[in-house]
Amino acid sequence: MAEQHTTMLSLRGLTRRFGGLTAVDAVDLDLAKGELISIIGPNGAGKTTLFNLVTGLDRPDAGTVHFEGQDITGLSPERLAAEGIARTFQLGRVFGNLSVMDNVLIGAHTRLRAVKPAVPLIGPLLELGLALLRPASVKAEEERLREEVKAILARFGERLLPRIDQPAYSLSYANRRRVEIARALALKPRLLLLDEPTAGMNPTETAEMQGLVAELKGEGLTILLIEHKLEMVMRLSDRVIVMDEGKKIAEGPGEQVRKDPKVIEAYLGHGLTTEQESAA
Amino acid sequence: MSNIDRRTLVRGSLAAMMAGAAFSRAAFAQSSEPILLGVSGPLTGPNAQYGTQWKQGFDLALDEIQSAGNINGRKLAYSFEDSQSDPRQSVAIAQKFVSDPRIVMELGDFSSPASMAASPIYQRGGLVQFGFTNSHPDFTKGGDFMWSTSVSQADEQPLLAAYAVKRLGLKKLAVLHLNTDWGRTSRDYFVKAAKEHGAEIAVTEGYIAEERDFRSTLVRVRDANPDGLILISYYSDGALIARQARQVGLKQVICAASSVYSPKFLELGGEAVEDVHVGTRYFPEDPRPEVQKFITGFKKKYNGLEPDAFNAYAYDAMNMAAAVVKIGGADRRAIRDAFAKVKDVSSVIFGKATFDVESRRVKGAMNAELVVRKGQFALWDGKPT
Amino acid sequence: MSSWLDYTINGLIVGNVYALVAVGLALIFGVSRLINFAQGSIYLVGAYIGWVAVVQLHTPLPLTIILVAAAAALVGLIIERFGLRPLQNSVRIAPLLATIGISFVLDQLVMLTFSPNPRALPSQLPDVRFQIGGGTIGPLDLLIAGVGITSALLLFVFLRYSKLGWAVRATAQDRDAAMQMGVDVNRVNQAVFGIAAALGGVSGLLVGMYYNQIDTAMSLQATLKGVVAEVVGGAGNVPGAVIGSLLLGLVESYGVAVFGTSYRNLFAFLLLVVVLVLRPNGLFASARQAPPEPLTGTFIAPSRPVRIPRWVLLVATGIFAVLPFFPVSFYVLQTLINAWLLGMLALSLTLVAGTIGQVSLGHAALLAIGAYTSALLSLTFAVPVGLAIIGGGLMSAALGTALISPSFRLRGHYVSIATLAIGEIVSLVILNWESVTRGPIGISGIPPLSLFGYELVSPISIYWFSFIVMVVLALLQGRLLGSHLGRSFRAIRDDDIAARAYGLSLNRYKSLAFIFGGFAAGVSGGIAAHLYSYINHETFNTQQSILALTVVILGGLGNVVGAILGAVALVGLPEVFRIAAEYRILIYGIVLLLLVRFRPQGLLGTM
Repeated sequence: MAEQHTTMLSLRGLTRRFGGLTAVDAVDLDLAKGELISIIGPNGAGKTTLFNLVTGLDRPDAGTVHFEGQDITGLSPERLAAEGIARTFQLGRVFGNLSVMDNVLIGAHTRLRAVKPAVPLIGPLLELGLALLRPASVKAEEERLREEVKAILARFGERLLPRIDQPAYSLSYANRRRVEIARALALKPRLLLLDEPTAGMNPTETAEMQGLVAELKGEGLTILLIEHKLEMVMRLSDRVIVMDEGKKIAEGPGEQVRKDPKVIEAYLGHGLTTEQESAA
Repeated sequence: MSNIDRRTLVRGSLAAMMAGAAFSRAAFAQSSEPILLGVSGPLTGPNAQYGTQWKQGFDLALDEIQSAGNINGRKLAYSFEDSQSDPRQSVAIAQKFVSDPRIVMELGDFSSPASMAASPIYQRGGLVQFGFTNSHPDFTKGGDFMWSTSVSQADEQPLLAAYAVKRLGLKKLAVLHLNTDWGRTSRDYFVKAAKEHGAEIAVTEGYIAEERDFRSTLVRVRDANPDGLILISYYSDGALIARQARQVGLKQVICAASSVYSPKFLELGGEAVEDVHVGTRYFPEDPRPEVQKFITGFKKKYNGLEPDAFNAYAYDAMNMAAAVVKIGGADRRAIRDAFAKVKDVSSVIFGKATFDVESRRVKGAMNAELVVRKGQFALWDGKPT
Repeated sequence: MSSWLDYTINGLIVGNVYALVAVGLALIFGVSRLINFAQGSIYLVGAYIGWVAVVQLHTPLPLTIILVAAAAALVGLIIERFGLRPLQNSVRIAPLLATIGISFVLDQLVMLTFSPNPRALPSQLPDVRFQIGGGTIGPLDLLIAGVGITSALLLFVFLRYSKLGWAVRATAQDRDAAMQMGVDVNRVNQAVFGIAAALGGVSGLLVGMYYNQIDTAMSLQATLKGVVAEVVGGAGNVPGAVIGSLLLGLVESYGVAVFGTSYRNLFAFLLLVVVLVLRPNGLFASARQAPPEPLTGTFIAPSRPVRIPRWVLLVATGIFAVLPFFPVSFYVLQTLINAWLLGMLALSLTLVAGTIGQVSLGHAALLAIGAYTSALLSLTFAVPVGLAIIGGGLMSAALGTALISPSFRLRGHYVSIATLAIGEIVSLVILNWESVTRGPIGISGIPPLSLFGYELVSPISIYWFSFIVMVVLALLQGRLLGSHLGRSFRAIRDDDIAARAYGLSLNRYKSLAFIFGGFAAGVSGGIAAHLYSYINHETFNTQQSILALTVVILGGLGNVVGAILGAVALVGLPEVFRIAAEYRILIYGIVLLLLVRFRPQGLLGTM
């Protein structure tokens, strides 16, 4: 029981099948508070599917997900966001027509209080009424959140602040990833899932991103990271988990995992087959 | 650039509307200022065919009026505005006609929603709305500027019921009707009259205008075991029903309302409409001079084309308009009053048409009992089919 | 009991007829993910080419079929090359609208060439009948079934075993991947449109012969039934489309058997909604699939809205407010009243379709609900007209939202199909629920507009009334868009999955959008009812829904000022084109096509 206080996220036997393919195969995982675990593995290993299962975008065929001791298996993503789980997406899902400011404000949606009165049944109608009337409390909350957003964007230096009113579709790929992370931070998450935050970034940008993640870890945030850039994984991670064909094939400190023959084989073997597949 | 966009567009369209009005005004000014009637009806959209038929009837009547020396020396003309039978457009057209001083009265619209939506505007604007196909019982209740020569279904359906029950001896009837305001009103009058004549109504089926397949409906009809089928239909759907009834092996007598009376009914129905009985207001061999004049004139003008019921309604309407204008002149109010004064206007549908001032409709439609024989409409000779 | 056999056979016969259109639709959807609203028009073109061949050229049947197939295929190729290919890198909604525009143009061309009168298209087959159950079938039934099944089979074989077929399937699965592997996607699309159009043309010919009747109104009906059948069978699934068609025929036939003829289409559209809600990928879709990851902003054109300075809006509002003081004709005022009423509907639709991305093709139903509620409240319960109109708005908000809510889980084109069906259902319920709605007779004698006991009957007062109501609704909507709700709606539109991951409940916010939008549409319908004094089930029809959507696209999705500008333009333009008489709808269709091609984000841009 004592252990459970520090365990933030706990997966047991998590399984997801698509037709004949088992994308996630009986995965166990424990993530302690303040810990950063990286998940690595070849393309198609099931890493993103695992994220989808944890964040409620997909339902497992078997197994459980516990968050802070509470069973959250199969809960809706809306509920899980309200519980404090935030994620970024592999393909960079920003809201293209929304400004940078609005994108990040959506991240703070679960924290809106003044406009979402918790009255059963007529709550939504009150929300509509408040949005139209905008009494002082609503305005004040909106103002406060806008300031917060600016503070979050300031963490990315001059990358986003000058573009705060630009629509997200006009941003560079790297900036879209940054907006995604800013949006996740606006949720004030207790658990942050980052899906390849440095994909498509050049070395300078990658270094910046690595610095930011290190900073977040330093602030005590619990983080689950999917990443291909091994150097970054080695530097940041408390532990590394290796997945292949849906299974967890190795787990442990970075250096130990790196030397694991199973891991090397998986990477080499898969590297070849994925190339073959894409050529077919 | 945004502000330019918006303002020029809005202003441009307003200006163009004005220009359009000015253009047509100029065009008419050349033709020695005829007396102008406004027509609101469908030239495009799902009812476009009826607007085209109106035009044919109007033009024939206008030719005759012109060769008879016009109206007190002035030509009669009409301005046809396409409403698509859409109430949104018919109200705009109504306002256009009302505010155009050259228009002395209006004819149309075709469908009840389009016509009756415009009625308040005509009534308040003091322009007669002469709805010559508007059988909706409430049409003329819109006000004293609403007049109609559409045969009231209260008049027509008892004639059809008499034909079916008393003359053809049918005792148990299946009624198939268009499920529109017209079809529904007609059905109710028919059923009432048929029952009064002692017939039993085995089943009534309403169908929507777009319906093409009646096989399942006809199974219901067959199961009700009637000895006659009554079609309250237009010619296109009437022909479809007759064909499919024969195809599924129903051999009962078919008796149809006058609205199927059209050469198209014969063309579309083919052999299946042989022996179908139709109660109509006139028929080709009708010896009445006004009918002969209409049919020969129509065939001559349109290369041998046979006129149908909607051609006749429009032809009659234009002649009625001429008669009214003759008395009322070009004054809108006088024209309204003239409707109450016209007497015995020569009419294909009524023989002699005189308005009932109370209902603002014409009573006493002519009646002819026809049957399709050898692919032609012929007067029924009393022989069973 | 033999009647049930007859109903079954009749259902299958009609389903057979639907299948011909549905197969073509399915093929196109399979490859282009596009519901081709022009398929019915190709069917129409095929029927008329067939008429020319049979009646004027006296061609024998096999030659007639070949002629029609070739000519229709040519039309299909032209549509693909000049109507759709230029849009392939455009937003997904653009080709959908383009097919609607193409169908306007084709239908009008046929109407102008052949006149709107129905024509007989005699069958060239011997007229023998075979007794089955209580009914009979003829050689044409067999031919139609033969063509339907053979074409489905041939397509199946073609898709499975030929090289081009393989390319078609690859393109259907993943367009980009197929392109990378050297599939010439344009050639695939050409092949598909050619085949689908040939099939559509031949089906028009055969169905025309079947009923010995062709007319220009057959196009829309064919499209509607074809779409229902196709979606029921699983969009893009060719054998599914055949089975969906047969099922549709059966459901209609049994519906007639149990409830009567006027319930027939009600059952067709109910079937569609039920299937969409329970199995959104159709009855025969493969098992549950991973949600596809759409790239952001593919459905709605990304664009920077044109910023209109506040003073321009104020000046424009001022000009329109004082317009009646100037010598403008009542006709112009009436036209603008129509524009304001359409503007309210467009505000509603631009919120629902533009801001939250639920492209509704049945929005006229909200008008109808508002109109009937307001009319009945004022007539039956003597509620003052002003209050009755508000009642109409509230009823439209509540009922409209309740009706659409089962389809909140649908995405993209499926939402459009579901709303189209719900719109038809509302209209058919109005037609059949006689005790309340007075059925086809409609409601007449609706009292004129009035406010605080003063009747508003002059065009000037009606103008001001409708203008003020529209401006108030527009201001409210502007305020809504500026709030966190506007932000949330747009986020859901751009990426519903990311939105959910950040705690936005789709049901809640879609409901709120429909409630707000339903109110505006209901008020518009209510005012129209009192303006017209008479309404029936045909007053607010599908054409109005499509018009409203065009307005919204023209103005820019989600754009409040754009909606009003679009309404003024699309009410004004047909009036301006009155000079063109019969040609004006043709011009309208061409304008729509040009707009989709050159400014898909609308005049003022997407918000």
